[in-house]
Amino acid sequence: MTLDQNEREDVVEREPDKHVEDDLFERLRQTSVGQSIFRSPRRVTPRDRAAGHWSSFLLHIYPVKIRRKELGFKYSWYLGVISTVLLGSLIASGIYLMFFYVPSPSHAYTNIQTIQTEVPFGQYVRNVHRWSAHLMVLAVAAHMGRVFYRGAYKKPRQFNWVIGVVLLMLTLLMSFTGYLLPWDQLAFWAVTVGTEMAGYVPIIGDQVKEVLLGGPTVDSSTLLRFYVLHVAVLPVMIVFVLMIHLWRWRKDSMLDQDLEDADE
Amino acid sequence: MSDRGNETSTPVELSPAPQTVSGKRVLGVVPGKPAAGERKVIKPDDSVMVWPHLLVRHAVAAMATMLVVMIIAVLFDAPLRDVANPQVTPNPEKAPWYFAALQELLARFHPLVAGVLVPGAIVLGLIALPFIDSSKFVKPRHRKVAVTTFTTFMVIWIVLTLIGFMFRGPNWGWVWPWDEWHCEL
Repeated sequence: MTLDQNEREDVVEREPDKHVEDDLFERLRQTSVGQSIFRSPRRVTPRDRAAGHWSSFLLHIYPVKIRRKELGFKYSWYLGVISTVLLGSLIASGIYLMFFYVPSPSHAYTNIQTIQTEVPFGQYVRNVHRWSAHLMVLAVAAHMGRVFYRGAYKKPRQFNWVIGVVLLMLTLLMSFTGYLLPWDQLAFWAVTVGTEMAGYVPIIGDQVKEVLLGGPTVDSSTLLRFYVLHVAVLPVMIVFVLMIHLWRWRKDSMLDQDLEDADE
Repeated sequence: MSDRGNETSTPVELSPAPQTVSGKRVLGVVPGKPAAGERKVIKPDDSVMVWPHLLVRHAVAAMATMLVVMIIAVLFDAPLRDVANPQVTPNPEKAPWYFAALQELLARFHPLVAGVLVPGAIVLGLIALPFIDSSKFVKPRHRKVAVTTFTTFMVIWIVLTLIGFMFRGPNWGWVWPWDEWHCEL
């Protein structure tokens, strides 16, 4: 990656040139209340700021420092952040939709109609949920592609790639289980086709299909199973695995990769 | 910049008359790098603070993502067809778009190959990838085998997805998307 002069200019660290007493937030942090809130209230030298980051709960998913080359759009296209933001959008909109949805064949479809016509912002929230889901599949797949072409999975980051493959599978399962919930023709037959593939597994195929569907065909027990997987089991799994993914990213971010063709 | 300090010039410039700046007398001006607020160039492999450098970029990426989702959600409504009816099979029967490549394979090969062996091999291959492509090189031109293999499979997968998603109509026959539209999202 070549960096032009302008790009270099905007990422330069400055030595601290302000005085503590000039800065309102610095003074607030020095009060006894401020000192009780911030575990590391002094933010004057770079070392202070690193300590402040290190002791912040909200920033603990981030490393304190990162390589300069990994900052820009060109490096990652920010696809990891985009995927995570879409997951957040899906959780927020999904919780709202859960208030108005009952997973039974006699209620599901009319509930969706009610969401679209009577629930405040129901149509909009459902749209956000649907399009975020499709975009998340795209973003996660693109994230994988970008990481591959960037060679970002090289030692010591190999295992985080494996965790990423698991996250891609979970994303697909999340999307697929959610696909059934509107209980319209589109949902019913897409899931019928999709679960037929499970029946092709040798020897245990029929059993796998039966466990997935709760019977030989898509019916009310399938809807309940997919609902529970969609709103409880898979979200917990995806958030948990994502936490491990981000934790590994943070832990490995500054480790030496021992590359022979590193940038410049 | 760093080369400014190497300039040769008179070491100290004395002012002709004493000057006063915020209550303090200026004795002289020293050329070269400023002592405070020094700027140094950060090389690509040097470390920078995540706050603010990475976090502002992530904040912008997050807001852009949410803006795109909002715009799409305002412009396009999520589809809702007729209520599910096990007696009425639509033609074509389509899986969600991310399984369209698998469905296209199922139409061409034995189900055991298309439904089990191929997806299983893809997942295992993806998991094994960083351990196979384990050289100390990251640039694509130094990893030609890995990049060619990955790109080939990716292109095949995208083409199969597009065919299954857009170019298949009744009885899984070939249609042109501008003649008949069978894409469901």
